[in-house]
Amino acid sequence: MRLDAPDDRGKRAGPVHRLDARYKLLFTLAFVIAVVATPIGQWRVLGSLGLLLALLVGISGAPVRSLVLRWAGFALVVGFLAVMVAPGLPARASHGLVTVILSIVVKNSLAFLMMLVLATVTSWLDLLQAMRQLGVPRVLVATLQFMERYLHVLGEELARMSQARRARSFQGGSILSWRLLTGMLGMLLLRSFERAERVHSAMLARGWDGTIRTLD
Amino acid sequence: MHIPDAVLDPRVAALTGILGAAGLFYGLKSVEGQLKERTTSLMGMMSAFIFAAQMVNFPVGPGVSGHLLGSVLAAAMLGPWAGAVVIAAVLIVQCFLFGDGGLTALGANFVNMGLIGSVVGYAIYAPIRRWIGGQRGILIAAMIAAWFTVLLAAGACAAELSASGNHRDFFRVLSWMALVHALIGLGEAIITGLVVRFILLTRPDLIEQDPTFALEPQVPGDGPPRRWLATILGGLGVALAVVVFLSPLASELPDGLEFVGQRIGFLAAESPSSPIPVPMPDYQLPLPSLEHVKAATAVAGLVGTLVVFAVSWGLARVFSGAGRRSERASADAA
Repeated sequence: MRLDAPDDRGKRAGPVHRLDARYKLLFTLAFVIAVVATPIGQWRVLGSLGLLLALLVGISGAPVRSLVLRWAGFALVVGFLAVMVAPGLPARASHGLVTVILSIVVKNSLAFLMMLVLATVTSWLDLLQAMRQLGVPRVLVATLQFMERYLHVLGEELARMSQARRARSFQGGSILSWRLLTGMLGMLLLRSFERAERVHSAMLARGWDGTIRTLD
Repeated sequence: MHIPDAVLDPRVAALTGILGAAGLFYGLKSVEGQLKERTTSLMGMMSAFIFAAQMVNFPVGPGVSGHLLGSVLAAAMLGPWAGAVVIAAVLIVQCFLFGDGGLTALGANFVNMGLIGSVVGYAIYAPIRRWIGGQRGILIAAMIAAWFTVLLAAGACAAELSASGNHRDFFRVLSWMALVHALIGLGEAIITGLVVRFILLTRPDLIEQDPTFALEPQVPGDGPPRRWLATILGGLGVALAVVVFLSPLASELPDGLEFVGQRIGFLAAESPSSPIPVPMPDYQLPLPSLEHVKAATAVAGLVGTLVVFAVSWGLARVFSGAGRRSERASADAA
């Protein structure tokens, strides 16, 4: 997993990018539920949902290459899980093992790609705003917003600490590296706490009372 | 342990979704009541921390690495419901931004890692911490809770997966999940223990205080009344985790065995050479026969529990003096 989510994804041109995030979120939810609820063996339904997804990718101009790359790594894990789970499913008797495994993988891929497309064509802030408007508790949305803001900060801090560690120690020796790595995590935890304190004081100084106010 | 989309039966997904949503609402309410306007910054920062911490890979063996889940760590630092809220935020970001864990399985994932991971984890942690007392108690309790909650979460995951399919298949899924997660849980316990130890050695004040007797000297057996609910929940959790290991052994299910027989071509791909689990990442495992899996699961459970106890005692030895000193200091301060 990489922290490669730039903040300005929603600002790029494109008809889908500019759509109201609420519609996109609801559409994604409906799409994923439709995919998941499709009975095993209904290839026509899955096919048309797949076409719809392809159409969306085409219109939105989401980067196909990176979508496929992300999907490929994920599909391996899901394929394995499907192989483990499929033999126990009741549908196996009527449809055969291969069909069951294939439909799990296909349904899963459609849902996964739809989520990725949503993340590509909607900025995180727009998505959060949509969640708030759709009734997700405000505290949770504010927490998510705050989290995404500091995810990158902590990620960079971690990268700096990791670089410093690599510069000062030999590689190898797992016992030693576990001590070093947990020390790093502990340090990051301390710094996160202290940063939260500082940011909170700064927020209080600017009139924070627990509600996030936006212009729209 | 993230369940993806389309693996769970829609009914199971809906049920766990409702359960997860209810738990999250309750958690948010209780955290907000406790932290007031600090909620956003503290929860947000801790979520970012757990997310970042999950990206640090620990070398397990050649080419294999594992990472922290952090449910018990978050609960030990912030309390049970705050821990659950932190895990929820991490899961939501992973689902929406990275496609990790399915949208329809979000509820199930939150139940496994948030509600079981943090809330039940804390219910195991709190009585042990109170019973042993001091900084020692915090460290040992955190490690034991981390170990048992990974197993419980794996058990819940197995239950959800088999509820989605053939119910009689439960023990097969359970023994696999328990076997793999015996190892993952060991890693989780050791990482959690080392991080908690680091915090105890540097800023012990940051660890969530025991509300019933934060500043009292820790005398097991007497003192203020224990919170029985937490103790019972914790005991129940440990008992269930033991069942996770032992039930595959006890089960005499012809269906499961017949099924293995049918698929013997698939299962025999790896010769059943070693009953001892080898280091494995989340979902990739060699495939010996079911009998070996059951035996290995029970052995792994027993050995793992002993190892966690031993390692936690070893790590906690540092605190035999330090714990009392800091208690005296805090008593003086009071």
